[in-house]
Amino acid sequence: MSQTAGAEDPKAEQKLLSAMLSAGFIEPKKARRWLDAPELAQAHRDALLEGLRRSASPDMALPSLVRVLEKSPQLISEVNKGADAEALYRVLGASQALGDFFIRRPEHAEVLTGQGTFNQLKEFPASLLAETDDEQLMPIAPLDTLYRAEILKAIGADPKAGQPIATMTGKDAYIALRATYRRFLAELAAQDLMDPDPVGFMPTVGRYLADLAAAAIEGALAIARAEVASTTSTPEEVAAVQLAVIGMGKCGARELNYISDVDVVYAVGHTPLSELPENAEKLTDNDLARIGTELVQALSKAIMAPAPEPALWEVDANLRPEGKDGALVRTIESYATYYKRWAENWEFQALLKARPIAGSAELGAQWARAMSNFVWESASREGFVESVQAMRARVTDNIPAAEVDRQIKLGPGGLRDVEFTVQLLQLVHGRTEPSVRTKTTTDSLIALAKSSFIGRNDAQQFLLDYKKLRTLEHRIQLLYLRRTHLMPSKENEQRILARSYMAPSQCGSYTAEQMLKDWQKIKRSVRTLHERLFFRPLLAAVAHLSKDDVALSEESARDRLAALGYKDPKGAIRHIQALTKGIQRSAEIQRTLMPVLLGWFAQCVDPDAGLLGFRRISESLGSTPWYLRMLRDSTAAAERLCMILASSRFITDLIEVEPEAIAWLDRDSDLRPKDAEQLWAEAEAQIQRHSDSAQAMRRIRLIRRRETLRIAMGEASQVLELDQIMRGLSNIDQVVVNAALTIAQRDMFNEGGIEQLTDVVVIAMGRQGGQEIVYGSDADVMYVHVPREGADDREAQKQAIDLITVMTQLLKHATKPALRAERVLEIDADLRPEGRSGPMVRSLESYREYYERWADTWEFQALLRARPFAGSTDVQDAFIKLINNFRYPKDFALSQVIEIRRMKARVENERLPRGADRTRQLKLGRGGLSDVEWIVQLIQLCDAYKEPTLQTTSTLGALHAAHEAEIVSADDAAALQSAWKLATKIRAGNILRTGRASDTLSSAGADLEAIARWCGYGPGKARDLEEDYLRITRRARTVYERLFFDADLLSEE
Amino acid sequence: MDRQQEFVLRTIEERDVRFVRLWFTDVVGTLKSVALAPAEVEAAFLEGLGFDGSSIEGLSRIYESDMLLQPDPSTFQILPWRGTEEPTSRMYCDILTPDGEPSASDTRGVLKRTLQKASGMGFTCYTSPEIEFYLLKSNKVGPAGVPEPVDFGGYFDHTPGGVVQDFRRRAVSTLEEVGISVEFSHHETGPGQNEIDLRHADALQTADNIQTFRTVVKEVAISHGIYATFMPKPFTEHAGSGMHTHFSLFEGDTNAFFEAGSEYQLSKTARHFIAGVLKHAPEFTSVTNQYINSYKRLWGGGEAPSYLSWGHNNRSALVRVPLYKPNKMQSARIEYRGIDSAANPYLAYAVILAAGLKGIEEEYPLSPAESEDIAAMTSSERRALGYSALPSSLDEAIRITEDSEFMAETLGEQVFEQFLRNKRDDWKEYRAQVTPYELHKDLGIL
Repeated sequence: MSQTAGAEDPKAEQKLLSAMLSAGFIEPKKARRWLDAPELAQAHRDALLEGLRRSASPDMALPSLVRVLEKSPQLISEVNKGADAEALYRVLGASQALGDFFIRRPEHAEVLTGQGTFNQLKEFPASLLAETDDEQLMPIAPLDTLYRAEILKAIGADPKAGQPIATMTGKDAYIALRATYRRFLAELAAQDLMDPDPVGFMPTVGRYLADLAAAAIEGALAIARAEVASTTSTPEEVAAVQLAVIGMGKCGARELNYISDVDVVYAVGHTPLSELPENAEKLTDNDLARIGTELVQALSKAIMAPAPEPALWEVDANLRPEGKDGALVRTIESYATYYKRWAENWEFQALLKARPIAGSAELGAQWARAMSNFVWESASREGFVESVQAMRARVTDNIPAAEVDRQIKLGPGGLRDVEFTVQLLQLVHGRTEPSVRTKTTTDSLIALAKSSFIGRNDAQQFLLDYKKLRTLEHRIQLLYLRRTHLMPSKENEQRILARSYMAPSQCGSYTAEQMLKDWQKIKRSVRTLHERLFFRPLLAAVAHLSKDDVALSEESARDRLAALGYKDPKGAIRHIQALTKGIQRSAEIQRTLMPVLLGWFAQCVDPDAGLLGFRRISESLGSTPWYLRMLRDSTAAAERLCMILASSRFITDLIEVEPEAIAWLDRDSDLRPKDAEQLWAEAEAQIQRHSDSAQAMRRIRLIRRRETLRIAMGEASQVLELDQIMRGLSNIDQVVVNAALTIAQRDMFNEGGIEQLTDVVVIAMGRQGGQEIVYGSDADVMYVHVPREGADDREAQKQAIDLITVMTQLLKHATKPALRAERVLEIDADLRPEGRSGPMVRSLESYREYYERWADTWEFQALLRARPFAGSTDVQDAFIKLINNFRYPKDFALSQVIEIRRMKARVENERLPRGADRTRQLKLGRGGLSDVEWIVQLIQLCDAYKEPTLQTTSTLGALHAAHEAEIVSADDAAALQSAWKLATKIRAGNILRTGRASDTLSSAGADLEAIARWCGYGPGKARDLEEDYLRITRRARTVYERLFFDADLLSEE
Repeated sequence: MDRQQEFVLRTIEERDVRFVRLWFTDVVGTLKSVALAPAEVEAAFLEGLGFDGSSIEGLSRIYESDMLLQPDPSTFQILPWRGTEEPTSRMYCDILTPDGEPSASDTRGVLKRTLQKASGMGFTCYTSPEIEFYLLKSNKVGPAGVPEPVDFGGYFDHTPGGVVQDFRRRAVSTLEEVGISVEFSHHETGPGQNEIDLRHADALQTADNIQTFRTVVKEVAISHGIYATFMPKPFTEHAGSGMHTHFSLFEGDTNAFFEAGSEYQLSKTARHFIAGVLKHAPEFTSVTNQYINSYKRLWGGGEAPSYLSWGHNNRSALVRVPLYKPNKMQSARIEYRGIDSAANPYLAYAVILAAGLKGIEEEYPLSPAESEDIAAMTSSERRALGYSALPSSLDEAIRITEDSEFMAETLGEQVFEQFLRNKRDDWKEYRAQVTPYELHKDLGIL
C-alpha cells in the first residue's frame, strides 16, 4: 500500500521519508508501511513523528506501537500527544521485550500513559519489623513495600498476614505473579527512561529493582505455601514452618540489574507455638527440613517454571553453605556453626551483601543478627592475606579474549573492577570501622570517603564512572530483557543505545561514536582505580597532602600494607613517612609516585627490602634533578628500579654507593656492557692523568665497580643475554688486571729507576680464560716472563716476582678513601705448574721444559682455556704458540684419555661437599658445569688438532664446533648446553639475590622463588624451576656419561 | 579447620579414641606409621606433624630431613582389629615440605598429580584390583628351606572348617568394617594361596585401600596364628601372587572406554589407552614389579604375562579386555595383568594411568588383538608377530627406566631419582649373594 501512496505523490513521499529520518529512523523505507496501518488511521502524523523522535529506536517503536494499538485502541489519544506522551514512546523505543509484554497483556497498557504507582513508592521503605541494625541503618527484615502488597494481592494473599498464603495455585498463579511483576518493571523502566538525569537515577532504579524482585519472591512463597499445603503436607504443617529468604549479591545489596540471577539462601525455623492453634504440635526437625525444602522448590517453580507468561529470572541458591552439595534449607544454628567453623574466606565476602528479603520477618532478623559479626571477624582469620591477594589477582584476571573489548562488566576497567576494589577495602577496614559496612557499591564508595579511607575526589569520580557503566548496562539489558553485559557490536545497535542512555529531551543529541569514546575514557579511569583507591591513601596516612586527600589512620594503613604482602608494615610506614615528608620538590614528587611504587614492590619477592632500598637511595640522591625527573617522567625506568630493589641485595648494595647508575635504567643502551677498547681507553686515561699509583688504581677499580653494576642492572632489566653478561664481566677484569700491570711497571721501571730485565705477561685460565665468569668470580691466571737480552736469568726471575707482587697489591689493597661495596678481584694462580708449591712465575723456557718433561695430562687440559690476558703481546703470542702443541696434541694417547676419565671420577668424589645432594650442586653435581666442561675438554684434547674450529677457550664455543664437526649430535649438544646455561644462570641468580656466591640450588621456598624469577619464571613457579633443573641436568648427565666414558673419541676417519 | 577435620576431632571425642595413627608410604610402598595422642591431632591438622624424613629409607634426602605429615581427614578410620577396648584409628597423610608445599618425594602425591592431569583431560579414573597372596605357617622358611603353606595338601585339597575358611571370613568382614568393599574371595591355584577382589573405586582411594588391605590381611593372619605374604613368588613350583587391576576412565557419567558396535565394544579412547600402556610397559615394569623376586613370577611360566600384547579374554596377554556383558556399558574396562602384589600401589597406578593417558593424548596406534597363547609360541613366532618381552630381571628393568623420559616426567625428577637409587642398591646387594641354587647345582661338581 505504501508503494501506491508513494507513486501518487513522489514529492510528498520524499518529504515524509526525510521527516522520518530526522525523527531518528534508521531505515525509514522499511518502516514506512507501518505508518499506513489501519490502527494509526486516527493518528496525527506530525504528533506521531514528534513522539517517535523521543524513542531510542523509532524503527522498533513504530511496529510495537501498531501492535499495541490493535489490542488497546484507547491509547490513540496518547499517541496524538506527541512528545508529551513520554512513557509510551520511550518505553516502546527502548525495549522490544516490554513492547511484547503489552501486546501479550493489554490489561496493563495504562502504564504506557504514564499512570501508575510510581509516585507512591518509597525509596527507603520501613521494614516489616520496626527495627534496623542501627549502625548501617539497613533494615534487617524484609521491607514493607508497595510492590510486596500489590503482588500479594494479585495472587489473592493478604499482605498483612504473618505468613501470606495465595488463593491460587499452579499456572494461573504463576501468570498473575509474573504479569504483575512485569507491569511494575515496565512502570519503573518508564520512570527510568523519562528521568532527566538517568545516571543520577541509577542507584534508585537498583533499589526498586531489588525490592520488586524481593516482592516477587514473597509472592512465589505465598503460592508455594498454598501448593505445599494442598499436596504433600497439611496446612497446619505448613503454618508451623517459618521460612526466611536471604538475598545475597546485588539483590541483597539493593543494587539489582534489570535482569540478573537473584542470589538467595534460605533459613527455616519453627513457628512459635503461641502463634499456632492451640492443639498444634511442634514439628520434628526432619519434617521442618522436608517442608522447608518443598516450599523452596515450589517457590522456585513459581518464578522459573514454564508457563504462558515467561519465567522471570534464575533464583540461584548456590552461594549457600557447601554450595551445590549443601542442604537447600538450614536452621539459624546450622548457619552459625557453618560460618563459625567451616566457611572459606570468600564466603564471608559473599555475606557482605546479605539481607533478609522475604518470608518470615522475625526469622530473617534473627538470621541477620546472628551472621552480622562473622564477616567482620573474617579479616583476622588465617589465610585472609592470601585470599585478599587472590582476590586482587582476580580483579586483574583475564576473561574470554573474544569479548574482552566489549565487556562492560568483566573487562579491564569494568564494573567488576570497581566492585571488587570496594569490597576489598571494606573487608580490610570494616573490621575496625563499622561505618564502612555498607551494602551497595555506591553507598560504600561514599562511606569509605567519609571515613577517610579513600580520597573524596577519587570517590566522586569513581561513583560517577560506576553509575555511568551501570546505566549503560541497564539500557542494554532493557532491550530484550536479557542478561548481558556486552556492548553491542553493530553500529545501529550502538546508536539505539546512545539514544536510550540520554534523557528524553537529549535523545538523538548523543552519537554512538561519542558514547564509545566516553566509555573508553571511563575504562581508562577505572583501570587506575586500584592504585588510586588502594595505594594512594596509604601515603595520606603519613603525609599531609592537598586538602581533598584523606587522612588514613596509621593502623588502617598497616592493615592495608599487610594485606599487600609487606611483612613489616610498621617499618614500611616509617619509610613512606621519611620519603614523603617535607615541602621540597622531591617530597612532592615522591608523594605522587609512592602509590604506584608500593604496588610494584608488592609484586616482588621481598617488598620490604625494596622499599628500604628505595628510601636509602632517595636519601642519598636527595633532590638531584635528573633523579626526580626520571621518577616522574619515566615509568619504565622507575618500575625497573623497584623490581631491582625488591629482588637483589647485590645490586641494591652497589646502587647505594653509585646512585647515578639509576639514570641508566632509562636507556637500554646504557645497560649494555662497554666494549673492551672503550674500557681500556678510559683506564689508560686515568693512568696518564694520575701519577700517584694508588689514586690511579683507585679510579680504575671504581670503573670496575661501576661497570659490574651496569651489567647486573642490564641482566635485571632483561636487556642482556647470558653470553653478553659473561663476556662483559670478563672484559672488565681484564682491563683492571692490565691496568694494574701497567701501573706496577711504571712504578718500578719509569719512576723507581730500576732497569727492566724481563717482560711479564698474565695468562687467563679457567672460567676467566673461557670468558665465562659470573659476578664475584676469582680470576684464574698464570704468569709468564721472558728475560731480555743479556739479563741474568736469576735476577730476571726475581724481578718478575717483585712485579707480580706489586701488581696484585694494587688490585687488592685498601684504597683511600675506601671503595665501599667493592668486591675485590681475587687473583688465583693455583693452576700453575706444580700448583701452590711451584714458583709463582716461570720463564717461557721453563714452561717449555716443564711441559715437555714433567707435566701431567690434566695440566694440558687446564691449558685448553689459557688465553692472553695482560702484558707484552709478543710474549703472550710466544706462550700461546708454545702451549698449542701441548693442548692440541697431534696424538692424544688412549692412556691419556683414561687418565682424564679417572681424574674426573676422583674430582667428583672428593670435591663435592660431604653429604651434599649431588643433584642440586651447580658446579660439581650431576649434570652440572663440570660435567659439561670436562666432556668438551676431552673432545678438544682428542680432536682439536685435526679440527681447528675446536681450538677455542669457550666451553659453549667448543661445544658448538664439536657439533658442527659432527663429533657430537645436535641433541646431545643441546642437552649439554642447556644444562650449562641454566646452572650458570642460577649461580648468577644466587649472588644477585643474596650478594653471596653459592653453588647450590636452594630448596627453601622464598629463595627458590627469587631465583626462579631471576631465571625468567613467573610468580609462584619456583617448583617448575626445580623440576626443570633436575630434568635438564639429568639429561646432560646421561649424555656426559655416554660421551665421556664410552665414545671412541680417538677414532681415525 | 574444615568440616572433615571437625568431623574427625568429634569422632575421636565421641568414640573415645586413644591412639591416632598417621599412615604414609615410602618410595617402595612400605606403610609407615606415627602414633599420636588424640590431643595432638588438632595441631597436626593445623600445622602438620614434623618428622625426620631421613630416618625413613627412600623418602628423603640425607641433607633435607625436615618434612611435615598432613593428615587427610577424609581417610579417617577406626581400626577394628585393634579391639574396642582402646580404640585406635588411622589417617593417611600427605607429605609436605617445611614451606607447606606438597613434597616432591611423596608417592601418594605422584598419583594425585597424575589424577589431576587426567581430570584436566576430562577423565575420572577408576581401578579395581584382584589381590593374590599366600597364607603360610610363619614368616620363616621351613626345614626344607622353603616356606610352608597353611594347607599343605595343595590346592586340590578341600580343607573343610580349616583355618583358611575362618581367616577368609574374618578378613572379609574386617575389610567391610573399615569401609573396603570386597567383591570376591576365593582359593587360588597354589597351596595356601588366596585371592580377594576389591570393588572398583577412584584410583587414589583404591591405592589407599590396597595399603589398608595388606595391613588388615596381615593382622588377621597373625590373630589366627598364621602368616600372610604378598611376596610375588614365594614358591618355585607354584603360581606367583599377582595384582591384576581393572582400569576404566569416565567422562562425567559416561564410560569413556565403551563404544557400542566397535570391536569388543572398545572406544577409540580405550584403544589409545591400551596402546599407551603397552608402549610404556617395559619402562614402568621396575615400578609395577619392583623386587628381585618379581621377575621370578614374570618368568616363572603359568599365567604370568611376559609379552607385550593384548587380547580379548586371552589370559596370556599383558592387557586383557574382559568379556563384554550386554547392556553393561558402564562396566567396560581393561585389565593390566603385569602388576604383582608387592608393588607400591600409588606409583604403580600412577605410571599405568599416565602411560594410558599419554597414549590417548598422542593417539598411539594399537596393534591387532592376539587370541593365541603367546607363551606357547616359539620365540621365532613371537618375533615374526612382533611381540617384545617385559624386562627379564630387575637389573634390566632399572636400566630401561633410567632411560625413560616418560618415567621421569610421571614420577617427577625427585621420586624418579630416589626410586632408582633404592632399586639399584637392592640389585647390588642381591648380585653379591651366593644362592642355594648355585650351591646345590655347582658345589658338588666344581
